Amino acid sequence: MARERKDLSTNFTAMASPCVVLVDSSDSLLGEAVGDLVKSEALRIEMKFSRYRPSVVTHINEHAGDAVLVDEESADLLDYAALCYRLSEGLFDITSGVLRRVWKFDGTGTLPTSARVQQALEFVGWHRVRWNRPVLQLAPGMEIDFGGIGKEYAVDRALALVQKRTPVPVLVNLGGDLRVTGLRHDGAPWRVVIEDVDRLGSSAGLLELSHGAIATSGNTHRFLEKDGIRYGHVLNPKSGWPIDEAPRSITVHADTCTEAGQLAKLALLRGAGAEQFLEFEQVRAWCIR
Amino acid sequence: MRVQLKATHSAANPGLRRALKIAAAGLLASGTGKAQEVPPDAPSTGVDSGVLYYHENGRVQAIEPELNLSQMFGEDSKLSIGAVGDALTGATPLGAVPSTLPQTYIRPYKVVPLGTPVTVTTASGGSTVVLVPPAAGATTQTLAASTIVPANTYPLDHAFHDDRFAGHIGWEQALTSTLKLNGGLAYSKEHDYRSESANIGLSKDFFAHNTTLDAGLNYESDLSFPIGGTPTPLTVINGDWKGPDASRHEVDAVAGITQVMNRRWLATLSYSYADAHGYQNDPYKIISVVDPISGQPNSQLYESRPESRRKQSVFLDNKIHLSSDVISVSLRGYKDDWGIKSVTADLRYRFQIGQDYYIEPHVRYYDQRAADFFRYYLVAGEAMPQYASADTRLAKFHAATYGMKFGMPLNEGSEFNVRIEYYDQHGNGSPAYAIGQLRQQNLFPDLQAVTVLLGYTYAF
Repeated sequence: MARERKDLSTNFTAMASPCVVLVDSSDSLLGEAVGDLVKSEALRIEMKFSRYRPSVVTHINEHAGDAVLVDEESADLLDYAALCYRLSEGLFDITSGVLRRVWKFDGTGTLPTSARVQQALEFVGWHRVRWNRPVLQLAPGMEIDFGGIGKEYAVDRALALVQKRTPVPVLVNLGGDLRVTGLRHDGAPWRVVIEDVDRLGSSAGLLELSHGAIATSGNTHRFLEKDGIRYGHVLNPKSGWPIDEAPRSITVHADTCTEAGQLAKLALLRGAGAEQFLEFEQVRAWCIR
Repeated sequence: MRVQLKATHSAANPGLRRALKIAAAGLLASGTGKAQEVPPDAPSTGVDSGVLYYHENGRVQAIEPELNLSQMFGEDSKLSIGAVGDALTGATPLGAVPSTLPQTYIRPYKVVPLGTPVTVTTASGGSTVVLVPPAAGATTQTLAASTIVPANTYPLDHAFHDDRFAGHIGWEQALTSTLKLNGGLAYSKEHDYRSESANIGLSKDFFAHNTTLDAGLNYESDLSFPIGGTPTPLTVINGDWKGPDASRHEVDAVAGITQVMNRRWLATLSYSYADAHGYQNDPYKIISVVDPISGQPNSQLYESRPESRRKQSVFLDNKIHLSSDVISVSLRGYKDDWGIKSVTADLRYRFQIGQDYYIEPHVRYYDQRAADFFRYYLVAGEAMPQYASADTRLAKFHAATYGMKFGMPLNEGSEFNVRIEYYDQHGNGSPAYAIGQLRQQNLFPDLQAVTVLLGYTYAF
């Protein structure tokens, strides 16, 4: 993350990630107000859709089997998740979190048995969900989470709030997923550093961002190695097993962070075909293997 | 290995990307004028009973037993009491427009203590019980019912179910040989509605009983306590528990003249005026807000009707006795300040068959102009009107009724009769101004209903 000297910055932690808001202004009060605005929106979304604290998501999961009424915002996210499921032919699935109970990428090198994976798969699959907006009914034992959507969505929502408040150029970065309001005051693009996956903390490249958003998918530090075979962290919700030859990380540029994040995820889920997918879809992207 | 992909920008986005872009952008952008029944000629002393069966095509059906008793006390007084029960089941229009996509409707269902296991997964009428997320610190759990209306289907509420009980008691007293006073009380109760009324009337005969003048006053007080509470008009429908009970009051005044025109012809002309105040919405009726281009419903609001209504009607009835047959012809004109105007024409011809049996064909025609605030739907982005209802009972429509009644005496003083009627209602299901997908929908399906009434009267 590059930062011009004159930017006012607000740092905070949300969604278990370091976040930063940059305001291209010398008005420190405005900088603070914009920072607070972004922070409170990020925390609002984190609280509302948390998997760990009482939230819309825990309410839905605790009542798996029952029909649950959801509010407008959650319904919009569910509609979006349903569309992503369809566009990815079932590879992007907000019910796939159950698989994480059997796949522990904790470096211990223990592979789950086929039987355990099969067992978990019984509770995975958007096709088992009855979604008739605004009513959601999971099959008993199922769970959802918005982990694959929430952070990028928060970037876009927070940025929209900022734009309502002030025309000042702003960059919102929530854990590496970021979006800018446009060019900086002096007409220059924002300069963003892409982290080097092999040497953490050091820069692997500089990206100039004049508009839109970039989002990164892939957790470069999480994998499982057994008998010399490296099992990636990206799980196929249809088979229950890791996707073969998934890139370690994909960074995508798009108009909105939500779109960028989803394109990155859909590409990652293509495994060996990630680059081909991104090229075919004419996406400006950076793939790290 | 690090690969930077070519950032080629073409004018047309490929399908997936385009779909994703649109979806992401969408995600982030979100933010009666019913014809009145002519009262039957009740015997002066006796029993008048019946069972009515009513069936609408694919909608409501009702069974309604009725019993009326009347008894003279001396020459001058008459007591009448009556009771009627209704059991209605079936489906009733929600008011929403159909869509090329399935639609889900939510209404409040019940409130239970938090933590109550909810074992019911389906409520009546194929709807599903839905948990409404409780607010922080709440001690109760609100349950809602959701109904899914398939694509291209006229939205009906299949959970419609109602039982009604109504009773009335009346007293008629002759004060002099030409002056009669009458009064009565009536009560009606449904599971979500209660109505109480009181009436008083005078009738005075002139010119050797050839002319009768009538005047009457009726006061009615209603209380509406809909399931889930009383919704705020023009707010988005949801499963939350709503406002408190709502009341309505109506005063009716009627004045009439009945004239013996000649020995075969009796004519009645009457005028009535009614003034109603209070809650006049149907708490279950909703109205769609549609997209101005696609015509797809974006949201559903509770309807909104004015809190006052002034109604006037003029009624002319003629009974003509031929040698043995009887012709009844009546006309009614109605208007109110909601903008509804209606005309009803009714013709019955009673053929006497031999000494005892009769058969009575019946034709009625009804034509109504819409209320000013009737809308098939509202359009998103347009100014929100103060009043709006999509209840087709307030729309422009016409209807015809074809019926036949057959009566036979059982023994001295008693009669069994059966009446069958067919009701055929037509409205405009394809208004010319319909938008987008609404052009291919039927916004006002025709309605057909059959009524069968088995009656028994016994005069002492």
